Amino acid sequence: MNPWLKGVLIFVVIAGVSVGAQYGLPVLVTDTAWRQLLLDTLVKVIIALSLNVVNGMAGQFSIGHAGFIGIGAYTAAITASHLHLALNPGVSSANIPLQLSFVIVPLSMLTAAAASGMFGLLVGLPSLRLKGDYLALVTLGFAEIIRQVISGTSATISPLIAKLGGVNGYLGADNHGVPQYAGPFWIVGVALWAIIIAWRLKFSGWGRALRALREDEIAAAAVGVDPTRYKVTSFVIAAMGGGIAGSLFALAHDGSPSVQPATFSVIASFEAITMVILGGSGSVSGAVLGAVFVTLSVRLIEQLQGLPSVRDFVRENPKFDLNALRMVVYAATLIGLMILRPSGVFGEKEIFKPKRRPRPTGAAPKTAPKATPKTEEAS
Amino acid sequence: MSELVLEHVSKRFGGLKAVSDVSFRVPSKSIFGLIGPNGAGKTTVFNLVTGVYDFEGAIRFGNQSLAKKKQSQVANMGIGRTFQNIRLFQGLTVVENVLVACEQQRKSHLFAAIFRPPLFYRDEQEMHDKAVELLRIFELHEMADEPSTSLSYGNQRRLEIARAMMLKPSLLLLDEPAAGMNYGEAEGLKTQIRWLRDEFQITVVLVEHNMQVVMGVCEEIHVLDHGETIAHGTPEEIKRHPKVLAAYLGEEELDEEMAQSLKAGELDVVPKGEAPKEDSP
Repeated sequence: MNPWLKGVLIFVVIAGVSVGAQYGLPVLVTDTAWRQLLLDTLVKVIIALSLNVVNGMAGQFSIGHAGFIGIGAYTAAITASHLHLALNPGVSSANIPLQLSFVIVPLSMLTAAAASGMFGLLVGLPSLRLKGDYLALVTLGFAEIIRQVISGTSATISPLIAKLGGVNGYLGADNHGVPQYAGPFWIVGVALWAIIIAWRLKFSGWGRALRALREDEIAAAAVGVDPTRYKVTSFVIAAMGGGIAGSLFALAHDGSPSVQPATFSVIASFEAITMVILGGSGSVSGAVLGAVFVTLSVRLIEQLQGLPSVRDFVRENPKFDLNALRMVVYAATLIGLMILRPSGVFGEKEIFKPKRRPRPTGAAPKTAPKATPKTEEAS
Repeated sequence: MSELVLEHVSKRFGGLKAVSDVSFRVPSKSIFGLIGPNGAGKTTVFNLVTGVYDFEGAIRFGNQSLAKKKQSQVANMGIGRTFQNIRLFQGLTVVENVLVACEQQRKSHLFAAIFRPPLFYRDEQEMHDKAVELLRIFELHEMADEPSTSLSYGNQRRLEIARAMMLKPSLLLLDEPAAGMNYGEAEGLKTQIRWLRDEFQITVVLVEHNMQVVMGVCEEIHVLDHGETIAHGTPEEIKRHPKVLAAYLGEEELDEEMAQSLKAGELDVVPKGEAPKEDSP
């Protein structure tokens, strides 16, 4: 198919699905909690896909992804709430209709991606010298610094950072809550694009070079792949993806009206890593599956806890701590999966195989003399 | 111009002088042998040329200096290499291994990969065709989509050469290409190396322990021992060079009769019998 036509087709389909989600989702899923869960899952998909670029494809172990998500969330919240006051004054900040979001959401995502990308560059640079555990510590430290600075800075230290609300969270420029611009249209649309972009990155020369670098840095450099450029770019791309996910998280419909630093703790980073490793490091399908599994499984157990029969059971057995059990079940599932499939559900594979290119036809190409015994004179 | 010149090149690893004041000139489009016993510094010389380590002295390729060049820069100047202990990209297929080497030649980059204009597909097809053609030269095209780890040892060595050739090098450095090959395969390799040079008009430098290959294919040979030059000359001269014989066989073991037969070229010079050990990466 003509590449342009294919591009247009993909665009139209994604736009269609997104519009369908915007208006269909409230009808199909009437329960707000479930709707929120579905959208939350899609944001997690973006998170897993972006982390997969650096942890899976580039093989750099980053455990500070929450830092980038947080930067994206705060940047988008600040951008959106200021734009909201400027462009749509007087509009309530809860679940803002789609037609008002076409300027504000893209701009917020863009600033979020830019801010996170810049920090990605900053963290990516030491990745050239550090490997494995050491790099992991740097990324972890980075994420914690971001969180601590935001939650711990008082107005006396820095009035500017204190405007972010500290531990209480950021409530928008006017303290009336972060405007909720990102409806299902944006979340579904961006998640679908994220899947396509992740796929295209993996199955391109760039992705191939990155994977080669992961397998053997010296050999990759010996065939002209510059480790510096590729590693740093992978960090920046992952950070930008995390930032965009953060922006959607901050502006999501039915979400919390505030952006709180506690959301971006180490636990969020580990959750993201769990998704990538569980699904299969380096696999796009795996990252999507991992995100869906991790997000839904905990919530599903929660939902099961709410069933009347389970509640009765708990009432009769007060010693039975279901909340503790939930994490035990979740952890046991993870351990079981890792024992059964040590490289994740998909490994590095995908659900669909990318199309194989046809072999070149044309005239018979040159062939070296056969590797059969031959005497000196004969050759 | 694909002449490689080393002038007073030295490399120290802590207290060990791995390469010490080595100078030689590899003429353009020649097949050049770099030999010596284990630990002589042959692989280190390759690593110095390809930018794995920095060095003292001067290395020039054509009219460009290789001092302070990064590995990837050296590669993109047209110097391809293989490794003593095969270094393939294990998670990648055979054809993908070769395709990694064409990143600098493609016209479409990261943005094209994301937005996929027709250029991207054209580029990808073109590179893929080139890679398969190279694989065909080494008779690996049937296995193009197999994982590279599934190849036999000899085929993995050939794949490394194919990957290096994808760079369109004008200088090819082969680090023990015949290691682990039997007599027949080694003979085949000889013809392949000669054919590569003639077909692609490249310069080939060979580090090799298999004297059948070295003496059969090299036009000029440089011998190192303990990081120092001990001899330089044509295969015929090297075969008779007393220092070379001493370095390979040990002076005490070199009895008169053996030395005579070696000089007469009746006996191939072979290393002392130890398995090739790892020099460096």
